[in-house]
Amino acid sequence: MSVFLRVKYLFAKSIFVFLSLVVASNSMATIDIYEFDDAKLSARFQQLTYTLRCPKCQNQNLADSNSTLSLDLKQIIYEKLKAGETDQQVLDFMKQRYGEFILFKPEMSRSNAFLWAGPVVFLVLFVVFFLRWYSNNREIEDE
Amino acid sequence: MKNLTSRLKPLLSLSIFVLFVVVFYFLIGQDKTELPSQLIDRPVPKFSVRDLLNKDLIHTQEDFKGKITLLNVWASWCPSCYTEHPFWQEYAKNPDIQIVGLNYRDKENDAFRFLHEQGNSYLWNLFDENGRLGIEFGVYGAPETFIIDYDGMVRYRHVGIVSPEVYKDIFLPLIEKIKKGF
Repeated sequence: MSVFLRVKYLFAKSIFVFLSLVVASNSMATIDIYEFDDAKLSARFQQLTYTLRCPKCQNQNLADSNSTLSLDLKQIIYEKLKAGETDQQVLDFMKQRYGEFILFKPEMSRSNAFLWAGPVVFLVLFVVFFLRWYSNNREIEDE
Repeated sequence: MKNLTSRLKPLLSLSIFVLFVVVFYFLIGQDKTELPSQLIDRPVPKFSVRDLLNKDLIHTQEDFKGKITLLNVWASWCPSCYTEHPFWQEYAKNPDIQIVGLNYRDKENDAFRFLHEQGNSYLWNLFDENGRLGIEFGVYGAPETFIIDYDGMVRYRHVGIVSPEVYKDIFLPLIEKIKKGF
């Protein structure tokens, strides 16, 4: 490799490193706006923002969303955790305003009990029908 | 016995097919992006927020009592609000209702300019600079419009532009119903 090429390569490499550092520091800046002294509190904040849905952008959770509404809701969660509220209190606050929909993992209620029971019901039906079919076949074989 | 089941089989598959068609037919028309409001048939949340045009005037949930109110959530940054705005001048002629604005997450000067340029059809405006009042109402975008009855109970929430069709087909019948005591 000629000296000229080597210098050119080094130059390109340093530009690449510089740019990636700029990008990295930028994304760090957008992530770390909610500061907690307590690691447990920070973990609870992460957990809550992962399990709550952004009402505006429906397939994102609050943690991933940068819509103004999500930022507002995250700020509220931050303030509530700092003020000593429990996770359940935060979830109730969100549910009261945006409904069950805001929970990524829905809770069991009378209106959706059918969906929760569905798999069990189908399994039981399957087993019952299978056993009947099986015993019928055996009878035929025995004859 | 065997004869019966083999005769029932096509009937069974047909009925399953029909069931699917019916279920999907009803699912297709639904707008999944529209959230139901949690406030329907509940009182307006408690709040205390200043007026947009009069700094010293404070509004509370009590201000909704005694009149049928259309509470319109708007902002100068919301493109659909510009489309919707001229309609409010028409609706404001209806003596049965008062039209109130909720200026959502806006800058004061931008909101002033909006009202100055587009005209002000609102009786008064709540100034919700940080969006916290909007969150109390479960607002997730602008424009949204709430219909609030004489007792300060929320009866309806419309997401999007209140077009003359929406006004005629949904709003007016509901206003009549509220007048008759709901």
